[in-house]
Amino acid sequence: MQLTRRDLFVGGATLATAASFGTSAEAQTRAETLRQVTGNSVNTLDPTMPGSTREAFGISVNVYDRLVSFGRKRSGSGWIFDPDTITGELAERVVTSADGMTFTFHLKRDARFHDGTPVTAEDVKWSLDRHVSARSLASAQVQTGGWTRPDQFKIIDEYTVEAKVERPDRLALPNLCTLYCIVINSKLAKRHATADDPWAQEWMKTNTAGSGAYTVETFRPGEQVILRRNDAWKGGPLPFFRRVICQTIPEAATRASLIERGDADLSIDLQASDIPTLVNRGRVKLVSTPQFNAFTMVAFNTRVAPFDNLKLRQAIAAAMPYQDIFKAALFERGAELFGASWQGTPPESKFPQPLPLRTDIARARALLAEAGYPNGLDTTFSFNVGSATVSEPMAALLKESLGRIGIRVEIQKLPDAQISTLITEKKVPFLTETSIAWLPSTDYFFRNFFTGDQRWNYSSWNNAEINALTAQARYEQNAAEYDRLCKRMISILAEEVPVIMLWQPNQDAVMPPTVDGYTYQYHRQVDYRDLRRA
Amino acid sequence: MVGVAPLARRAGRRLLSSLPALFGVVIFTFLLMRVLPGDPAVFFASGPNAGQAEIEEIRRQMGLDKPIPEQLVRYLWDIGHGKLGRSMGTGQPVVTDLANRLPASLELTFTALLLALSLALPLGIIAALRPNSAVDHAVRLLCTLGVCVPTFVSGLLFIYAFYYLLGIAPDPTGRIDIFASQPPNVTGFLLIDSALAGDWEAWWAAASQLILPACTMALFVLAPLARMTRASMLAVMTSDFIRTGDALGLSRRRVVLVYGLRNALLPVITIMGIVFSTMLGANVLVEKVFSWPGVASYALDALLASDYAPVQGFVLLMAGIFVLVNLTVDILYGLADPRISIE
Repeated sequence: MQLTRRDLFVGGATLATAASFGTSAEAQTRAETLRQVTGNSVNTLDPTMPGSTREAFGISVNVYDRLVSFGRKRSGSGWIFDPDTITGELAERVVTSADGMTFTFHLKRDARFHDGTPVTAEDVKWSLDRHVSARSLASAQVQTGGWTRPDQFKIIDEYTVEAKVERPDRLALPNLCTLYCIVINSKLAKRHATADDPWAQEWMKTNTAGSGAYTVETFRPGEQVILRRNDAWKGGPLPFFRRVICQTIPEAATRASLIERGDADLSIDLQASDIPTLVNRGRVKLVSTPQFNAFTMVAFNTRVAPFDNLKLRQAIAAAMPYQDIFKAALFERGAELFGASWQGTPPESKFPQPLPLRTDIARARALLAEAGYPNGLDTTFSFNVGSATVSEPMAALLKESLGRIGIRVEIQKLPDAQISTLITEKKVPFLTETSIAWLPSTDYFFRNFFTGDQRWNYSSWNNAEINALTAQARYEQNAAEYDRLCKRMISILAEEVPVIMLWQPNQDAVMPPTVDGYTYQYHRQVDYRDLRRA
Repeated sequence: MVGVAPLARRAGRRLLSSLPALFGVVIFTFLLMRVLPGDPAVFFASGPNAGQAEIEEIRRQMGLDKPIPEQLVRYLWDIGHGKLGRSMGTGQPVVTDLANRLPASLELTFTALLLALSLALPLGIIAALRPNSAVDHAVRLLCTLGVCVPTFVSGLLFIYAFYYLLGIAPDPTGRIDIFASQPPNVTGFLLIDSALAGDWEAWWAAASQLILPACTMALFVLAPLARMTRASMLAVMTSDFIRTGDALGLSRRRVVLVYGLRNALLPVITIMGIVFSTMLGANVLVEKVFSWPGVASYALDALLASDYAPVQGFVLLMAGIFVLVNLTVDILYGLADPRISIE
């Protein structure tokens, strides 16, 4: 091509206009920019990378699309995710076969990846194959829904994919809603795959190949991620915010003042003790949601002495000062999971729900004597430094209360990496932790947190009946029978006390009054697509 | 004056002789990290369904599945090839992380040191000229205050006063206003880069972000610098050559600044080298409070997560900088007092 003076002039003029448009667009975007401040950092753009942080999950939800996702519903003054409503994201509709084993996904025909290539069945197949085959976080998750092999996913035509499980699994479809099951631009990713790395995992850590509502403009791990809206997004209604900044501010006090002065628009990890003061000063809005898919507990190691002793566990459960801990440690910012009045069979099958736990020192003394420890015993109570604001007052109250029945508790506060190691090696006798399930169904909770050898079974509980019940409930299609099985699991838990259930902590999202639509999501991060500025 | 070529040769010899020390540092940190309790693989395997398989996978990625001697040899091999491993916390190679973050720390430290020196030297001199006067006591009080108040307290106070209450400082989050455009990266020092690009708006944005953390740090190191200047000046001002200068009728200014100060500078330079190295590593609190993306907060995060590679890389970097600072201090000695040369 030959350049003439005229071409240059026209080109120059175009550039000049573009530049001036650029600045004027920049100037009006503060209202259309959302600035989230968080204490943690985004460490990868591929949510399935082993070791990815929760903040990285949050970014990936907005950058990638899945076939399907959870809807949302109103709860109090805010919104929460709704695991019972499944809506299409890249799939226009999903057809489930009568036997509940085959799912047919019909893709949206106008959906495009960020680079403009159409989203096809081939991309979906490649992505799902990756989630079951690659060494990533995804494979452990999706196998809880019965997805284990690539041959379960079949291309029907360019815009139709069929997925099949071997047994009708309650969590098959919900698993495909989780943030690991992203749909990847397979042509783009394959260009960066190597013989050692057939799924382009290395490349996807710092690059994206998605079709989501936002594209990544800047990614600086440990500092900030800046997203720009993808105006061609077809996964749902176009989000309000054109630009999103997710910035790492380690100091909680600084995050609080940024929000209060209106310089930042959202934080979900302020210090619980700061929040009442902030709200009282009246310049911010608080959306407080009990994390209904989480629970905080005190766990016993049920496989080794002394806590393999049922009576001893029951004694401690009767000596716990529930109300005092709830007030002093959590400032009552959550939903109680103790103090229920039912006996035997719970009134409903959902979990977590309040269990019949209450403080009764006389009963605790009697049980302790029955357990064979009339003179009490010595033990250690552990928690991680990361949870110290809540766990420290809890430990102090627990020590005092157990002291009254003769149990001498030594408090052990450990760095997070150290306590995770000890827990995995099952070397901690008595501890507090908080567990979260992405898919809040009762059998999933029990399967993940009360069976097996993995770390999340904090009490190392191995109860033959629970093991059988969870295996059965997973494939149970009859709702009444499923409820019966779940109620039985909950009664056993209440009777055997492998853990003492305490509460579901609130997630406190603080924002200026103008920001609206915040939704509590199963991943406990921000879905920017929900938000708008009034 | 010393010629440049012999100076460079001596400097080179000094650097070479510091290699065994650096090697020792590498081995020591490597072993120390592995002795610490806490398994990084378990810590990072925190997915909702993380089982033993995931822990093993991370262990393999971090190279921790191999015996320790083999890990050490691989690590040394990597260092020889300019690699320091990969950080699990940021997901990036440690060399990239350090290269991105070191300029931030250096810019902050240099500014703080300059600020501290421009205050400490005059204060120290004034205090020395009138020992035990009201001025001397005032300087002493200021220094004591600076040392007594921990940096995170003064930092948070500055933020509270200048950002939250008065609103004259920009939000204390990082090196440049998040909504401002960043100058093209040349040296990594934002003040220099924006000046090179002629972008004075960005220069001002960076400078105004820098001023509070720099003041916080300067306040903390004011004391050693000012006290050392005072002590050293006191000794020099009673020397014979000062009396001679006074007797010859030289101006007071000339006597104090040229004959007095130059001779008093040696210990101050020594202290300056130490202060600089300490600031670079120990300013982690300032970096945390002001969300400054520097190397110290990076290393602390890595340490809490038992993330081996960044901690090892950081310690090696600090050791290297220490060597360079000592060398610079020795060269400055030669300039301050030509009778001394590095050998």
